[in-house]
Amino acid sequence: MSVLQAILIALFVYLGSIGSVVGNTLGWYDLGRPLVASLIVGLIMGNVPVAVALGLLLQLANLGSVTPGGAVGWDLSYATYIGVGGALAFYNGDMATTVALMWVFSTVGGAIGVAMWNLVYAVNLGVNRVAMKGAENANPRQIAFANAGLGNIIGFVFRFVPALIILITTAVVGSQTGFNVAEIIPAWLTTILGAFGGMMAALGMGILLSFLMKKPVHFAIFIIGFMMIKYLGLSMMAVAIFAIAAAVIYYSIVSAKEEKKQEGGVA
Amino acid sequence: MEQVTTENTTQATVSEKKLKPATLKRAWLIWFFWHGCSQQGENLLGNAMAHTMTPVVEELYTTKEEKSAAYKRSLTLFNTEQQLGAIAPGIICGMEEAVAAKEIAPEVSDAVKVALIGPTSAIGDSMWVATAIPLLLTICMTVTNMGGVFTYGGPLLYMLGYPILTAVISWNMWKLGYKTGLEGIHKFMSSGRLAQLTSAMTVLGLVVIGALTASYVSVYVPVMITPPGGETAAIDLDKLINNIFPGILPLLLTMGIYRLYAKKKWSPLAVMGLILALACVLTGLGYLTGVYA
Repeated sequence: MSVLQAILIALFVYLGSIGSVVGNTLGWYDLGRPLVASLIVGLIMGNVPVAVALGLLLQLANLGSVTPGGAVGWDLSYATYIGVGGALAFYNGDMATTVALMWVFSTVGGAIGVAMWNLVYAVNLGVNRVAMKGAENANPRQIAFANAGLGNIIGFVFRFVPALIILITTAVVGSQTGFNVAEIIPAWLTTILGAFGGMMAALGMGILLSFLMKKPVHFAIFIIGFMMIKYLGLSMMAVAIFAIAAAVIYYSIVSAKEEKKQEGGVA
Repeated sequence: MEQVTTENTTQATVSEKKLKPATLKRAWLIWFFWHGCSQQGENLLGNAMAHTMTPVVEELYTTKEEKSAAYKRSLTLFNTEQQLGAIAPGIICGMEEAVAAKEIAPEVSDAVKVALIGPTSAIGDSMWVATAIPLLLTICMTVTNMGGVFTYGGPLLYMLGYPILTAVISWNMWKLGYKTGLEGIHKFMSSGRLAQLTSAMTVLGLVVIGALTASYVSVYVPVMITPPGGETAAIDLDKLINNIFPGILPLLLTMGIYRLYAKKKWSPLAVMGLILALACVLTGLGYLTGVYA
């Protein structure tokens, strides 16, 4: 990994984080998703197939990554860009080692990202004073500067800079000195991290289920999806299309029932 | 009598203060790009809300005192899901118009703003963030898995498709909020339509998550049971379990994590620690029973 590549990746760490200058729709929910982020890292590092293969693993583990109420449980932008970028810097053709390395980088990156988010959340309190002054002066430019200007300067400093430091001290130095990570990662550790990765997808699913599974009947619906793959052997795409069709049918039945009830009430 | 007429005429003149469509769009654009900037624990999205209101306030009010008062009100605590939740700032724009026209008191607008936080967050979080995004990602991951050019195509599809789709819906939610106001939302919510839509989305989400669990969660028990005397009669425990119930271990793990996260309120980090511990134990078993050398 060259210094320029590290700078570019660190820049995307910032762009994909919450409240970056491109907005959360283009940032956190788009550039910050591992599926997209891994393509970008792959393009920067010149190895898209391996990057996206790593990204798919991270995407599954973090499919339930949302931020209800501003509480960031896990900084996905940091975890993905550092994880995929760091692992790719040491890629030498052995996928198992690269996957193991990706989990190490992404866990460290994600944890630092959470710390940075908490820091930003505190430092941003200072922005409120500037915004309040803008309100007192009835100055729209001052309010805009407080929110989009100061907010982003703080965000940039606390996201770009730490990400760059992590990448330079590990990936850039390591890969340019010809350091062979595969030699220091023992086989048993690669096996453990492989098993860890396989089970991490369950975390993504568990978090998603916590939003949707509220009644016993929901478990029944969930099991149908599970069995469509395990027993019927359908592809993921087929299940997704069946599910959309089922939801549309369900909606039309329920809303027809509701209309009938309301008509009955009027009569 | 005379007083009433003068009051009516003044009201008629000020209530003509209707926001220009361009102003509304400018406010939405500010919201769309900068709703997440400078959030903190004091007023959450308050700064972003005040920033969003700048074109609206500048158009509706003339004196510095009026503008300053309006900005101060827009700086108070605010939060919502920021994409579909755009309905909330849409409503707030409509309310500000009514406040400027002296149709409602500022206090009413403030109360509505606080009341919007809960329901609009809930719509966005459950329908968009927890259902639509994972579904879209799932479809794009499936495309990516087809390999070849799709390695690029899958991520690109999400990268471009997601923001375009979201922007269209967000702008329409904003307009809906502005036009129908709190009453419209109230009607919409009490009509049961929203509940129906949410439960239909829930069906969709649950089936897909079930399928994802089956496809991608892998738990491998590397245990060989070798009966004394015969290496050839060794039983692969993992195979045995999967012959009885395919995928029972991934299913149990997922349900277990769901319980820990949803009911026992474990943090994702704690769950990750548990998964790592489990991976160590399973790998250790593999070495002990001779599956790994």
